Amino acid sequence: MEWINQLTFLERGIIAGIVIGFLCPLLGAFLLVRRITIVSEALSHITLTGITAGVLMAQTLVWLPQQNPMYVGLLFSLIGSLFVEKLRELYKNFQELAIPIILSSGVGLSAILISLAKSSYTEWYNYLFGSIVTVMKEDLLFIVATGLVAFGLLFAFYKELLSISFDAEFAKVSGISVKKLNILFAVLIALVISMSMKVVGILLVGAMVTLPIAASIQLAKSFRQVIGLGILFGELSVLGGVAFSYHFGVATGGMIIIVGIILLIISVLIKKVFVQRSRFFSV
Amino acid sequence: MIRVFFEYDFLTYSLYTGLMIGFLAPFIGVFLVVRRLALISDALSHITLSGIAFSLLLGKYYPLFSGLNPMYMGMVFSVGGAVIIERLRNIYRYYKELAIPIILSAGIGIGVVFISLADGFNTDLFQYLFGSVVAIREKDFMMISAITAIVFIMIVLFYKEWFFLSFDEEQASVSGIPKKPLHFLFMVMAALVIAASMKIVGILLVSSLMTLPVAAAMRWARGFKQMFVYSVLFGELSVVAGLVSSFHLDVSPGGMIVMINVVILVASIFLTKKTY
Repeated sequence: MEWINQLTFLERGIIAGIVIGFLCPLLGAFLLVRRITIVSEALSHITLTGITAGVLMAQTLVWLPQQNPMYVGLLFSLIGSLFVEKLRELYKNFQELAIPIILSSGVGLSAILISLAKSSYTEWYNYLFGSIVTVMKEDLLFIVATGLVAFGLLFAFYKELLSISFDAEFAKVSGISVKKLNILFAVLIALVISMSMKVVGILLVGAMVTLPIAASIQLAKSFRQVIGLGILFGELSVLGGVAFSYHFGVATGGMIIIVGIILLIISVLIKKVFVQRSRFFSV
Repeated sequence: MIRVFFEYDFLTYSLYTGLMIGFLAPFIGVFLVVRRLALISDALSHITLSGIAFSLLLGKYYPLFSGLNPMYMGMVFSVGGAVIIERLRNIYRYYKELAIPIILSAGIGIGVVFISLADGFNTDLFQYLFGSVVAIREKDFMMISAITAIVFIMIVLFYKEWFFLSFDEEQASVSGIPKKPLHFLFMVMAALVIAASMKIVGILLVSSLMTLPVAAAMRWARGFKQMFVYSVLFGELSVVAGLVSSFHLDVSPGGMIVMINVVILVASIFLTKKTY
């Protein structure tokens, strides 16, 4: 781990960005076919609560060992992801209510905690909207470690996750424990969200999960292509976003999303032209 | 405790404004929840942020715009967002639910870029995000009163049509109700209410005032009309209690209002047994 000490702040940010640009769309593809992309939105807002709680704890409970607020954030988003499943059971006929409930209580609680913790606004803005220059050595280690864990889990359970995403009934019949896999899924989402937060910002993690996949599904012809193109778009938007934000001095998270939106618009246009052309030829 | 709210002008304004949005947001929220569009309020409120940021940016470079209340631009963006959501639903025919996260994240992303171009990462932005008790001026108060009046008149005029559309879209469109214009009008109303509530509750929390009271009311109500009564009751209760307590505890009013709503919701879930 010698090399990690020698990195400049920009290099740290870019490495973190590459890891995020790879994992977010990968997870997003599974979320898309399970039709729960919006869950990432809800969990990212819960992570905000965790982070504010972490910052507040570090300020008030001085006897506690100094910890990175990101860990508390990870813990909260884990609990939140299990909670979403529970609420879905409670509102059986209005399942989509679970998400706004979690989302708003997450933000509501963090709004109160933010006003209690008298930190500077800049610090909060970094958490909310991301900043590439604040990726510290420990943050990079956290990102790489959680990234490896998430990737390992996805790799090990790829087949099971695939089968449960496309045909839950069939998966159940063929002996896969749906409940266990749902929990695994929740853990994966929580991991990916809490690791992306530092670079893209809490309010924008959901975009990293959704936008590249929304673009890739326009062009892809198979699930593999959805993943492959999604990762390509994810990396492009992260690297493009970092480059532009550095040049124009704009918030990194915002610029990453803008590049993502441009890629999405381009792929929708390509699809339109392509479909019209094939119609033209077939007639 | 509440007396201090009548001693200072700006507090009186925010109390009255709070009463208005405590009525409006849950009322529109009932329609949204029943039509399974609860998440749209999140998307629209986030796109409102881009509008506000855009207005701040314009105001920085063109003095003509600096006098303009950012809320107007917020409304324009929010109505535009509603239109784009409908378009996206057509583009992603098999994954209609993608439209909302796309708009939601795009709204924040664009907003952030505008804000950082306008050098706007300051206290003002925090008030827009999480609400403020002291942010209501006489102008805002007048505007929100106007919005309340407009939305109220619209509800009285179109209650039946919206009611019909909410429960049976097919039947409604077969029996000759102009579905598209009515839906658009409803979205404009939702955008107006979001813009009106934003100053006190904050952009990130507006949607909770539209969904949480309704979610709690669903546990108690035994009919559609009762649902309105309970939702508005919970909404008003949370807004008034939230404003008063946030002023005395010096925390953000939006957060307090939402947490009171969460408490009401959790109590409702435990006190009632039926599952929806």
